[in-house]
Formats: sequence, structure tokens, C-alpha cells
Amino acid sequence: MSALHTISGSPSSGLLDSCLKLICPGDGILFIQDGVYYGCPPYLIDCVSKDNALFALREDLLARGVFSILAERIDPVGYGRFVELTVDYDKVISWS
Amino acid sequence: MQHKTLTFITRQAPYGNNKAKLIMDAALAAAVFEQQVNFLFMDDGVFQLIQKQNAEFISSKTIGRALETLELYGIEQVLVDAASLQERHIAADDLSIPVKILKAKEVRQLTTNSDVVINL
Amino acid sequence: MTAYQFATEAVSQGHEIYRVFFYGDGVLNANSLSVAPQDEINLSEAWDEFLKNNGIDSVACVSSALVRGILDFDESTRHEMASVSLFKSTQIAGLGQLVDAALHSERLVSFG
Repeated sequence: MSALHTISGSPSSGLLDSCLKLICPGDGILFIQDGVYYGCPPYLIDCVSKDNALFALREDLLARGVFSILAERIDPVGYGRFVELTVDYDKVISWS
Repeated sequence: MQHKTLTFITRQAPYGNNKAKLIMDAALAAAVFEQQVNFLFMDDGVFQLIQKQNAEFISSKTIGRALETLELYGIEQVLVDAASLQERHIAADDLSIPVKILKAKEVRQLTTNSDVVINL
Repeated sequence: MTAYQFATEAVSQGHEIYRVFFYGDGVLNANSLSVAPQDEINLSEAWDEFLKNNGIDSVACVSSALVRGILDFDESTRHEMASVSLFKSTQIAGLGQLVDAALHSERLVSFG
């Protein structure tokens, strides 16, 4: 069963490392709140396999002024798509 | 009542905040509902398993007693992420309760096979 | 704020929310005595409106609530406190209600 992982802390939280211990091919990651800083330089998101789709919450990116520097691999999504993603994946695992 | 496999992940050290207690209480509640419950220690959560704790020194409740109730409530799947132990130089025979130590691949399987993963 | 916006969006898409369960510091979202600065949204009031308008069941975790001074009428009376601080749209109950919600829902989404 696939999972959507939500990450809500910045890179200094280490939450992505914890998430990567559990992540499986086909799972997705959605960065929310301060988690969106994972999607911006100088952080390199290369540690996540290409088998995992990456998303970041548009409102949180815009609020923090980092929408324009979001890594190309990461898909910015609004709350509408956030809700859809929780349905598309079989379960949600939150990292906070 | 539906039957589901619920996996609880405890990732916090025992006394810095009350998350450890909260997650344990949630798992015990799930056991009362007669669900398949997995209880996984990872990251700083493995500090909960260290022996000879005495939280009376900081006017708190020692978590060891609560850990023992996991088994009393019929939670058989008490699991630990091997990497989290290694990173913190904690040996398997230093732990206060019997646990099953999971390799990276087994940790992934555990969550894949769960209907709900509760990581509060 | 994220949880509130998510819940609002889920309802507007036609999804049914079985229960909102407040735990940890999250119980402060059910605090009827919080006062926000004039130019800021009062999130507890927004939750209260949302829960009432949509008839959504809402629970504040008893162990998280009491230590943070979030008391309903019964708890306030029992502990001989001066006031009630929980919105009527939310009830105080145990973690069993979280598990019950997980069992009855297709998805459990939590926000730390």
C-alpha cells in the first residue's frame, strides 16, 4: 500500500532522514509549513529516489518567499490538490 | 467493528516532552479495540528503552512501567529500528523490555503492510 | 492553520470528516478564552465556526487538555476551577476516540 508522507519541519529537523527510513517506491512526499525549505537551495533533494513523487504546498512556499527557487523536481500544489493526494495514496504518514 | 493493522511510531526521547506517553497511550487504546497493533521505536524514541531510568530525579514518571504495559495489553509486535540503535551506540542487550529488532527492509515492510500509520 | 485549511478544503470537495481530534498543543485550538491580536485571525474561533457549521464531531484529548487548562463545564466544576475554557463544539474524551476515528475513516491525516 502506498503512502503520502507529509514533512513539516525544515532541514535542521532531520525529518526527511527519518522519512527516508520508511519510504517505499511509489510513495510520495509533500513538504508543508517549514518543510518547504527542503525544496530550496542549498538543500539538495537528490537523496530522494526518482521513484518517489515530490510535492510542496504552494501557500507555504509563497508565504516564505521561496516559490520561485523551488527545485524543478518538486511539484507545487494548493490545498485542493493536497486533499486529492491524501485520497490518491492509500494512507498518510505525517512527520512533524 | 473493522479490523485494521495500526502501526504506532514513537520517535521522541522519554522526558523532553509528553509525546512518548501520548503515543503509548494511543497504542494501548488501540489494543483495547482488539486491533493488530505494531509499536515501533525509532530515532530518539529508542532512548525510552534504556535500562535503569529513574525519572523521580526530575519529578516525572519513569517510562519503564508504561513500556511493560504494552505486553499486558496484548501488543506483541514491539519493534525497534536497528539503525536508530546503532546511531546512538545502544546495544540490543541493553534494552529494558523484550523487543524485535528490525532491519531497514523490515521497517519498510512494516509500514507498507499497515492500514494506518500513526506518527503523532 | 494547515489542519484548518485542509479540513475546510476537504469539506468543500464533498468529503465527510468523521472527527477532528485535538491532541498535544493542538487542544489549544479549542480554547474559547484565547484572544488574537486585532489584525490576526482567531484560529480557535475559526475552528469553532467550522465545526458548528458543518456538524463535525470534535474531541480534545483529555490528558492533553486538562494540563493545558482546557476544561469543559464538568471538568471545571469537578476541579473547582473559576471558568470553562473549551468551546461547546468540542468534547473532552480519551485517545480511544482517535483510534475509533482511525477505524471508521478511510484516511487519517495528522498535523503535528
